Amino acid sequence: MAGLELLSDQGYRLDGRKPSELRKVQARMGIFTRADGSAYIEQGNTKALAVVYGPHEVRGSRSKTLHDRAVINCQYSMATFSTAERKRRPHGDRKSSEMSLHLKQTFEAAILTQLYPRSQIDIYVKILQSDGGNYSACVNAATLAVIDAGIPIRDYVCACSAGFVEDTPLVDLCHAEETGSGTAVALALLPRGGQIALLQMDARLHQDHLDPVMEAAMTACRSLGQVLDGVVRQHLQEVSILTGE
Amino acid sequence: MLKTEKVVVLRNSRRGHVRVVRELYLREQVPCFSSLCQGHCSNEGKVLPGDITHYVVPDAGVVRDFLEVLEFQELRGIVFTQTACQVVQHTRGRRYGSLLVQRWQNKCNKNVCVYRAAVWYHDHLAGLKPVVMITEDQHAVAEYNRLTSGVYVISTQEYLQSFWPDLQAAQELYISIAQVLQERESEGQEREYAEHLPAEVLEAGIKSGRYIKVCDLFVIAAKHLCSVSACHWKLSSDVLVWGMKQRNRAVHGDLVVVELLPRGEWKGRTIALTEAETGVEERTGEEQSQPMPTGRVVGILQRNWRDYVVTFPPWEEVQSQSRNSQRILVIPWDRRIPKIRISTQQAEALQEHRVIVRLDSWDSTSLYPNGHCVKVLGKSGELETEIQTILMENSIHVLPFSEAQLREMLLNSKENLWTVEAGEVAERRDLRTTHLVFSIDPQGCEDVDDALSVRILPEGVRLELGVHIADVTHFVRAGSLTDLEARSRATTYYLADRRYDMLPAVLSADLCSLLGNVDRYAMSVLWELDAKSLAVCKVWFGRTLIRSSYQLCYELAQSLLNNESVEVPELAQLGEVDKKKRLKELKTALEQLTKVARYLRTQRDRGGALELEGVEVRAQLDAEKNITALVPKQPLEIHETVAECMIYANHWVARKIQETFPQQALLRHHPPPCQEHFSQLMDSAKARGFDIDSCSNKALADSLDRAVDPHDPLVNRLLRMMATQAMSNAQYFSTGSCPLEQYYHYGLALKHYTHFTSPIRRYADIIVHRLLTAAIKLDKGMEPNETLASNKELEEIAQHINNKNRAAQQAQKQSIELFQCLYFKDKDPLTDQRCVAEAIIYAMRANGILVFIPRYGMKGPVYLKNRENQVVSLRNDGSCEWQAGMLQRYPDRICTITSNGIHAFSLFDHITVRISVQALRCHPDSLCLEVISDRLQEVAKLESLAAGKGRLELVQEVVRQAEAASQQVEEQERVPQLSKEEREYQQSKGPNLYCLLQEVRELALLDLSVCQGLGLGLQACIKSV
Repeated sequence: MAGLELLSDQGYRLDGRKPSELRKVQARMGIFTRADGSAYIEQGNTKALAVVYGPHEVRGSRSKTLHDRAVINCQYSMATFSTAERKRRPHGDRKSSEMSLHLKQTFEAAILTQLYPRSQIDIYVKILQSDGGNYSACVNAATLAVIDAGIPIRDYVCACSAGFVEDTPLVDLCHAEETGSGTAVALALLPRGGQIALLQMDARLHQDHLDPVMEAAMTACRSLGQVLDGVVRQHLQEVSILTGE
Repeated sequence: MLKTEKVVVLRNSRRGHVRVVRELYLREQVPCFSSLCQGHCSNEGKVLPGDITHYVVPDAGVVRDFLEVLEFQELRGIVFTQTACQVVQHTRGRRYGSLLVQRWQNKCNKNVCVYRAAVWYHDHLAGLKPVVMITEDQHAVAEYNRLTSGVYVISTQEYLQSFWPDLQAAQELYISIAQVLQERESEGQEREYAEHLPAEVLEAGIKSGRYIKVCDLFVIAAKHLCSVSACHWKLSSDVLVWGMKQRNRAVHGDLVVVELLPRGEWKGRTIALTEAETGVEERTGEEQSQPMPTGRVVGILQRNWRDYVVTFPPWEEVQSQSRNSQRILVIPWDRRIPKIRISTQQAEALQEHRVIVRLDSWDSTSLYPNGHCVKVLGKSGELETEIQTILMENSIHVLPFSEAQLREMLLNSKENLWTVEAGEVAERRDLRTTHLVFSIDPQGCEDVDDALSVRILPEGVRLELGVHIADVTHFVRAGSLTDLEARSRATTYYLADRRYDMLPAVLSADLCSLLGNVDRYAMSVLWELDAKSLAVCKVWFGRTLIRSSYQLCYELAQSLLNNESVEVPELAQLGEVDKKKRLKELKTALEQLTKVARYLRTQRDRGGALELEGVEVRAQLDAEKNITALVPKQPLEIHETVAECMIYANHWVARKIQETFPQQALLRHHPPPCQEHFSQLMDSAKARGFDIDSCSNKALADSLDRAVDPHDPLVNRLLRMMATQAMSNAQYFSTGSCPLEQYYHYGLALKHYTHFTSPIRRYADIIVHRLLTAAIKLDKGMEPNETLASNKELEEIAQHINNKNRAAQQAQKQSIELFQCLYFKDKDPLTDQRCVAEAIIYAMRANGILVFIPRYGMKGPVYLKNRENQVVSLRNDGSCEWQAGMLQRYPDRICTITSNGIHAFSLFDHITVRISVQALRCHPDSLCLEVISDRLQEVAKLESLAAGKGRLELVQEVVRQAEAASQQVEEQERVPQLSKEEREYQQSKGPNLYCLLQEVRELALLDLSVCQGLGLGLQACIKSV
């Protein structure tokens, strides 16, 4: 099969976006009251829910306790109804534990863990609907949730995926692009300082093309950062109105 | 942007339907790409022209069904909506077995979309251009036509009739497609063939070994037989598929899956000569060879249909064929393709025309495939039609160079003279003053792509040999339009009477051509040789700037070497003293060159280089003593000298690029031939008591040299010819995809070989030039500025060039056969002496013999048994007649047994045959040979008589029309003498052969010797390794 035409001659992608355009982002913070922090984000058709508990005492075995900083515990899962075919997804399968690990690494870099020695912060993320860019949706949702929980972080952690089709870098890939294009880069950025919290690439990409792809991904992350900032500010406004301050 | 969602239902291979939701972002603004845009759209690249009367917006249905109509070049300003494009993608996809199915919304809805688009366009351009929407939906026409002024909705047919009344071809195409569509709905239900198995079953079957995947279906005979080559570990040989039913709708070239039949039903391949016409007899029993694996086609993995040329039957036949005269069977030009059923109303107008037909479908319910007409070529039998047919059938598409391509070219005219750029002078090595550069080419050659130089270096111990090749890559940048066009053409096509250039004439005949006394860019190879031993001390590759001092032709160069006093045109203006000095200089250079070339040749001979056709042509000259009065017996040594230098340059360049790019260099190899192919040659040689040793190229060359019959020089020639047939073809390849030991060039006995010396007429050379440039840059420590093709890409290009070369050769051969037929067509075979010729038998078949006619350089079959089962019997005086009897075949002879007694035809017998043209309506005409005597004497006498007369005539001709005739004579002199390599390096045989064959056409070649020359010339071109 010839495959889908990911980028038309006129420069449009499958869903009508230009190569450097993001999908529509909608987010809400503080959706659950029981948890310390929570957030919901939609990036196009990818929908993710993040919940944060903590910081609290280390639960389970005490041996995990770190005496100088907090332990971050991440758990990633996908809803059974998140993909086109319903599929039971047991906890701890290889893919989700890898994703959990990536999330953990990302947030260890962002959260000021040394402020909470001997304690633990739990971040639970669930993908409700998956349409490409699961990792970036998770990271963005978790950032909002962490902020909602009032845990100090260095900066927003913004993540975005990028691919490379017909000599053009595409950002924020949808599912069809992710499966069809071959190469996908996931990048998590702390936009203010420009530090990269995580960079992941599974397929091969020519060395010459890496720079433009990363540049595109970073630009996308920065604009995502602005969107998240807007969401936080709006949330704060709403909250302050509610509390009557 | 507005976000919407699109629901697509995908069919999964296992689990049925899956619902997939895709996002769709609707943009507020889309550029209109029209040059008339009133808004401020960012229109980049190609835009719709503003100088046409209207824009056309076809709807989805029209695009899907009538895309071919829209492809006409005259139709411009067509706007394809995204909706329409997607429909085409999806329905085409489904037709070719993809898994994608889309549930379409109501058809009316689609039309609304397209109509809205048309209206938008009209409004966007502020009503400057009327917009026409074409649709097949009558409701849409009724509903929308009056809705907006300036936007017209009409049907396709109406559109073509009212807007393009002159474009008859488009209307015809439209009608034929429409009829096909109509018919598809009303197909009959009778099953003619077994259904093909579904793809999954085939795949599983191939894996389990039950079925065999076959690369390429190769149909041998029209009716009953086709043989296929199988790639299966169990079978080494081909698989035979017998009959139309077993073939199950497979067409030549398809990728099919075959199931083997039980061993009891295996059949052998017939080795009888099959009649060219439709009546092939069923042959069984003793006439078949060993039974071989036989199978039947169970499925087709991929159709490889192309456009076919067909011939319409005469009108009476159509009427008798069926009551419904709109559906007729047409016969393809290519015998391997079954008859095609097309429906048309123009059967009467098109009778006996050749037409291009595209296949649409072949259902199991129909006996023949369905197709529709695409283009009418012309009446069959006309020269132009036939040439176009040959091009079409070989998939050669040569349109004139487009404007955009020509715009890339530099200009070189009187007003705007092209000069050397200063920047280039600084970068290139300037050889204009230091080297004596000259080119040696055939007379009247325009595209000079190689020049030579030789000089003794100042110290006197070293000799410098230089080969300078036109620097085409300087003008043709990689990826430019010209480059893409050249790549798709891959080579310059030489037909019998014309040629199609690979590069535009500005380049091939002017800027790239190394003409005399002008500055040109070149790519040079300079060797420093030891003056005594001629061993290579140093090689230099690089870009240079040269000025060729002499543009010699072969004959002139040879006369200079022979110390004959000739006039060199370049020196005509000079004073006597100066002239002598310059002449001496040139002569020394030529002598040195000859010395070096002789040395190189012996080097290669020692390695086992084969000399196949070169000798063949020479031997022919020896045999043709009757024209020695005008033609020198020996070929000129200078041909070989030039060829040798070119081979040497190719060889060194090949070494260089292979060393620098071991994974991605384009080389040319000549694989050693398959030993089984030599069996015929060995058997034939044994009949005459010679022993052929084919274990290596050296042994083969030596044993061929030994196999000379002192009484019959033709024997050696025939043996060499058979050896040539046994050879495999030389091919281009990328070094990364071939193991090192397969780089060897068998024919030239060189480890590395490539093509470097003719970039004007071969695309492979252009690639090699780029590789060499990159290699030189790397040597200097610079990064090459263009990324080179990877191994995979290069291998693809190599395959493409190989295919195109094969097509070019095939087309050339067919065009020559065409001219042969035209030559014999107006001769009466019974009375005309020219139709009687001597022939020599070179192979045996079950019902006839294969003969070679030296006079015309033709090969052909002679039947000894006709369709009434009569055989040829001989009377005592040697003449033949048909009589009831039987044939018996032995390895070295074939016997006819009749009431007159037994007569044997054995190998290498000389017989006399009559040549006549078998005019066929649907296929190319073929020459038919008939044995009229097994003796030679009287005919030989006649022939020598005729030849004597011919010579006389020719001489008279020379006197009478000095110019035209002398040119012909020169053709005769030159063409036959070209050896294999020379033919490869010779620049333009096109115009010369063109003149010759033009004569054939116009004068119908009234004298005999000329036609002999023609025969030789044709023979010389038929095969080039």
